[in-house]
Amino acid sequence: MLETLHNLAVGFSVALSPSVLLYAFVGCVIGTLVGVLPGVGPLAGISLLLPATFGMDATRAIVMLAGIYYGAMYGGSTTSILMRIPGEAASVMTCIDGYAMARKGRAGAALAIAAVGSYVAGTVSVVGLMLLAPPLAAFALRFGPPEYFALLLFGLLVLAYMSAGSMVKSLAMAVLGLLLGMVGIDQMSGYFRFAYGVVELGDGLGVVPVAVGLFGLAEILATAGQAVQPKVIEPKLRELLPSRAEWREAAGPIGRGTVLGFLVGIIPGSAHIISSFVSYALEKKLSRRPQEFGHGAVAGVAGPESANNAATSGAFVPMLALGVPSGPIPAVMLAAMMVHGVSPGPLLIRQQPELFWGFVASMYVGNLVLLILNLPLVGIFVNLLRVPYPYLYPAILTFSILGVYAVNGSVVDVWIMLGMGVLGYVLRKLSFETAPIVLGVVLAPMIELALRQSLAMSDGHYGIFFQRPIAATLLVVGLGMMLLSLRTFIRRGLDWRARMALAEKGES
Amino acid sequence: MAAALRFVLLAVLGVLVASSLAGAQDAFPSRPITIVAPFPPGGVADLTARPVAAAMEKVLKSPVGVVNKTGAAGAVGMQSVAVAKPDGYTLLLALSSISIIPEADKIFDRKPAFTVDQFAPIALISADPTVLVVPADKPWKSARDFIEDAKNRPGQISFSSSGIYGTLHMAMELLSHGAGIKLRHVPHAGAGPALTAILGGHVDALASGPAVVLPHIKAGKLRALAGWGDKRVAALPDVPTFKELGYPDAEFYIWAGLFAPKATPEGVLTRLRSAVRDAVNDPDFKAAMDKLETPIAFKQGEEFQRFFDADARRLADGVRKVGRIAP
Repeated sequence: MLETLHNLAVGFSVALSPSVLLYAFVGCVIGTLVGVLPGVGPLAGISLLLPATFGMDATRAIVMLAGIYYGAMYGGSTTSILMRIPGEAASVMTCIDGYAMARKGRAGAALAIAAVGSYVAGTVSVVGLMLLAPPLAAFALRFGPPEYFALLLFGLLVLAYMSAGSMVKSLAMAVLGLLLGMVGIDQMSGYFRFAYGVVELGDGLGVVPVAVGLFGLAEILATAGQAVQPKVIEPKLRELLPSRAEWREAAGPIGRGTVLGFLVGIIPGSAHIISSFVSYALEKKLSRRPQEFGHGAVAGVAGPESANNAATSGAFVPMLALGVPSGPIPAVMLAAMMVHGVSPGPLLIRQQPELFWGFVASMYVGNLVLLILNLPLVGIFVNLLRVPYPYLYPAILTFSILGVYAVNGSVVDVWIMLGMGVLGYVLRKLSFETAPIVLGVVLAPMIELALRQSLAMSDGHYGIFFQRPIAATLLVVGLGMMLLSLRTFIRRGLDWRARMALAEKGES
Repeated sequence: MAAALRFVLLAVLGVLVASSLAGAQDAFPSRPITIVAPFPPGGVADLTARPVAAAMEKVLKSPVGVVNKTGAAGAVGMQSVAVAKPDGYTLLLALSSISIIPEADKIFDRKPAFTVDQFAPIALISADPTVLVVPADKPWKSARDFIEDAKNRPGQISFSSSGIYGTLHMAMELLSHGAGIKLRHVPHAGAGPALTAILGGHVDALASGPAVVLPHIKAGKLRALAGWGDKRVAALPDVPTFKELGYPDAEFYIWAGLFAPKATPEGVLTRLRSAVRDAVNDPDFKAAMDKLETPIAFKQGEEFQRFFDADARRLADGVRKVGRIAP
């Protein structure tokens, strides 16, 4: 413990040196911008800026890149809440209740809760990273394809909690999402599925173009299609900050989201994306008023936003402790280290203590910088809502197209987004919810790959899922959860969900 | 007066014409050159392309930029250069997958995204033989142990790869056929996940570029058994090559080379070739490659063509031996 404190002191001396501090700040600012720009997520931001770090020393480069990463997680919530456009894949869930809060005039509160939740999650999980990195990393590596598959099945269970209305409609949308997720090269055989000769479709439908289309564009189209122009929400300064009741509602979800996000984040792969989905489902399950979810529940913003930030720090655990490229973003950051002649491996913490502890300390500083940066911005961002729709919407549309194009420089992605916009509009008119589609698109390729990798490992024997302790435990818990929800379904017949659906029918 | 004026005008005109003609002759490059890296930033192609671009910029005294055009395991970026205007301003930094992708397209009877003969080779920049690594807690102490065991238990020893028909898969496939063994393939989505899988102990073996596994070998997590190169890897002097062990078919390099679209004028190609030759001798370039622990293996002209042809033949053969896997 004493040694940790000593190391941390060394780390802070690195992190607070003016030049490192400057790069952390620059990283955070760029990250926030990257997050705010619809479509451009942290991976795209880091990739674009990686070459710019080649001239710096390793510590500065890593500190700046990490700043972009968690800065983007902060920024991602902004457009989700204000305009229902997910800045990156992890803030898809924030679109639902965050935007609903904004419609009720609570945009400022939602933004503030997202910022504070992100700060708490970021800081607490850095403590986790600092104290537990080596043992946790060793545990995280035990997650191979079978464990990953079992974990992702939880993601499928989440689908059941995503709908505020009819269960059948929501499952239909989930299936549609899973089908859309099948587009692309089959990783196991190299076969092009549903690509119709378009090479770009080999990578499948990107989550970001799909989410921006289904949420953002559909919202714009729907608003434009209304006979009466909706009134512009004019936020009052007094209402910018969350009320005491809202804080109380947010506290639990922030805590749970932090722990959940950190744990999911350390697992190698792209599981960090599902951390916000799982957190949303967890909060809905625990909530005393699940019917509020989808209509502006504070917990529906606080939980997922904390989870996705905690997952960010979690992702650094295997990367720093073992030098493992545990996901796309850590892989880019490891490359940045290699460019500087630092070979990332299990000996990194011992061989490069200044880099590791400087990095850890800079994350404490960076999270604080982001909080200070973001809270005053709440007032400015909220004022964007005052812009009349005839000006606001074309501008959003332009930025969405630019952002989605910029990620891969691919026009195909823009077409996917536009197509999904139209689909989202039609589905809205038929009162289907579109969030399950996005979750399906996220989960389908990951589940399929994990399942088939597992079966390749076992030469086709399904027993592999029950011979490995972690996978077996996860599967048993998942099955138990499913049976429990079936029980209430049978016993009560009509639960709140069914009642809501009936009520909706009455409305229309 | 008028005559004098006419003389001056003619002289000026003459000078202008002469200079513009001279300009036309060595005008290349008169605007920025773009090198397309068909893989994401941080990968081998990207990390090689950037120092090459920086060094070429110095030689050509004209901007050279790198663009990552990713997608479909590199096919998107390679296709974009194959159909680019052949003027020398759009170049491709390709890896061995350039000869694999068209071959895999053939296997599936689909219209190839591009073919190898759509490119004119400029130069080979680096070539790194893959090495066979296994988790340190596995019983195999040598490549012979490994091959022996694989012969006794066909299809039981598993390996991860960067993806089906990917470079790391091909290396393993060439070994399997050369040594007459059968291994169990667990494809992953890229070299990073493949490395993560072996570090977690979820597979038994991996063919990998030496630089990324060196720290794990030094830390005692992985053991290197043999290399696919012509010579031993400098950083692993005790690790034999498969060639030494009597498996000459197991030869494989992760190489990076620069290409231009086929119809690029010969004059421009010559200029580019000499620029790359000077670039690889640039001290900054050498230092950058040194940090990446990637040996420079400069080849051009006939020599590169021979290397490229032999490699393409081996890989095409490898792809055909894997054949079409039922989806």
